[in-house]
Amino acid sequence: MSATIKQFRKKAKDTIEDNRLQIALEDATGRFREARVIALNALKDAEGLRDQFKKIRAATIANLAEYLETFERNAIKAGAKVHWARNDHEASRIVVGIAQSHNVNLVVKSKSMTTEEIRLNHALTAAGITPVETDLGEWIVQLADESPSHIIAPAIHKTKEQVAVLFEKVLSKPVPADIPALTVEARGILRERFLAAEMGISGANLGVAETGSIVIVTNEGNGRMVTSLPPVHVVVMGIEKIAPTWDEAAVWLALLARNATGQPLSIYTNIITGPAQSIDPDGPQEVHIVLLDNNRSKYLGTEYEEVLSCIRCGACLNVCPVYREAGGHAYGSPYSGPIGAVISPLLFGLKSYAALPQASSLCGACLDVCPVRIDLPRMLLTLRRDEREGGILPIFYRLTERWAGWVLSQQKIYERLAGLVRWLKATKIIQLFIKARLPELAGRSFREMWERGDVEE
Amino acid sequence: MKVRKKILNMLRSQSRKVKLPNPWISGGEFDSITDEFASALKNVKGEVYVAGNLDEAWEILSKLFGELEARKVVVTDEPPLNQVNLTEMFTNQQWYIVGKTNGDLIDFCSSADIGLTSADAALAETGSVVVGSGSGRSRAASLLPPIHIVLIPTSKLLPDIFAWTAKRAGTLASQVVLISGPSKTADIEQTLVVGVHGPKRFIVILYSDGDLQMIEE
Repeated sequence: MSATIKQFRKKAKDTIEDNRLQIALEDATGRFREARVIALNALKDAEGLRDQFKKIRAATIANLAEYLETFERNAIKAGAKVHWARNDHEASRIVVGIAQSHNVNLVVKSKSMTTEEIRLNHALTAAGITPVETDLGEWIVQLADESPSHIIAPAIHKTKEQVAVLFEKVLSKPVPADIPALTVEARGILRERFLAAEMGISGANLGVAETGSIVIVTNEGNGRMVTSLPPVHVVVMGIEKIAPTWDEAAVWLALLARNATGQPLSIYTNIITGPAQSIDPDGPQEVHIVLLDNNRSKYLGTEYEEVLSCIRCGACLNVCPVYREAGGHAYGSPYSGPIGAVISPLLFGLKSYAALPQASSLCGACLDVCPVRIDLPRMLLTLRRDEREGGILPIFYRLTERWAGWVLSQQKIYERLAGLVRWLKATKIIQLFIKARLPELAGRSFREMWERGDVEE
Repeated sequence: MKVRKKILNMLRSQSRKVKLPNPWISGGEFDSITDEFASALKNVKGEVYVAGNLDEAWEILSKLFGELEARKVVVTDEPPLNQVNLTEMFTNQQWYIVGKTNGDLIDFCSSADIGLTSADAALAETGSVVVGSGSGRSRAASLLPPIHIVLIPTSKLLPDIFAWTAKRAGTLASQVVLISGPSKTADIEQTLVVGVHGPKRFIVILYSDGDLQMIEE
């Protein structure tokens, strides 16, 4: 997977020209945007809470090693097994190994971006094990053999008619394109899988070091099914998703769902601390936690360190003018939108994802909504600098950037050019060359008006 | 373990000790914590009944069983549910008491009409109840049946999640879940559907057990 400039432009163009997709994207992101505002307004001091959260995450990441060790110690004390994976291959190998040692044929999975990151389904299938996604949107995307197009709502791009066709293939019978009916069908099919699976795999929204617990939030209940019914439960979690104690976890949970979907809390906030105890009548016999590095540790102590504070809420996607039109698939990564534009190059390579730092207007809407106040615009600029220093962009882009930078620094030349553009626009000549609707330009530049005394002080 | 050491060393080489901020103070101030809980839960499509005392709560439950045409009920073995003889009190229902009744728990839960549990706490701001695993407390009971009913005294009401974490003590059960409504999804065309994998209906019967005064300061 990658997002070179050519790839990004092609996929973005396809999405932009797809009217139905544009409507779906705007509808989904619009709802999330509005719901988030309402949910935050219901808090007594949302801005104070965000400031608190930023401090918490920064302090945690700065001392991550200590909190990870505490987490591991307490998780083991609670009966879980903790594994460490340096990269995606290692992580997949560990999970497949656990499955094979338990003779697992069928796995049920709840939604997890880290498992997408390590391409776990692919590894399981290659080992002859069948993974079934159980989050409705993820299952739809799996049936369609596609990748998710939004961190929180993976099947934004699918219509109910398309979903009905997918379900018909599974059920070998006609299925009405009616959303409640489709959901009932999904419930029936997936319930069978939940009860038959020998292993459940989940991600973790966060881990709490104080008790060695992991927390998984869902609205559908599939997170509870996956972590309660099969005898073995495996968690794949990024090393940066740690809260030191339950005081910090409370802040995290108070902000996560509000920023992701506008809910005060997700329907199910599932806290798992080790496998079933001997007194428990049900629950998994084994819990394995796979801690995934995959280039995260590399950025501690660098100018990119604050990106490790991200809680994957998706709020930045919903406000980004680029994401809202280009859609998630253009990013060529499980992580799309503004956060994806920064972490995809950082985790998976700047060369492979050269388009992403460029695909931004630097409007700052992402920074405005981020619950942890991550300065994504600053890091997008830093990545552009890295691209320039690494000679990564094609020569045309490098030269254009150099010339543009020079022109913008030469005041007289810039003014002449700006005047020329104004003249071309006024005489409509420019419209012969550029089809897009251009913004209105003022008759005179502010500088001119000032020098002529036309501006009132 | 080589990988563990490598990762931790990488992190330790850049570690700084930065003080965490003091715990966030709970904001909740309500005229009536019970009303706040009820309205928050109704907002997320949950159902709430408020009983004057435990006897009234049993009456409400009996009426619900009639309305819902409940035949098979799985119930956890915890107070107040284990303080009465349920099979005598409700003779129209087939009961499975977790840990006490013979037969496969998961099988019964899979075909049960109702899962009946209590809860360790209720959070007013978000309309949530806190349900934990343990002796006589089955995860499947509140998950598999299409209807989940919670019987909980008002003394267990807390303002919000900060109040809940602030009073933590002892060890956690292997599973603790904060339930904030019936299961739902909007994954297909952003259209809300209630009832996906978890219960389709989530009903809380709050009953006064006289200790409410302590909470409402």
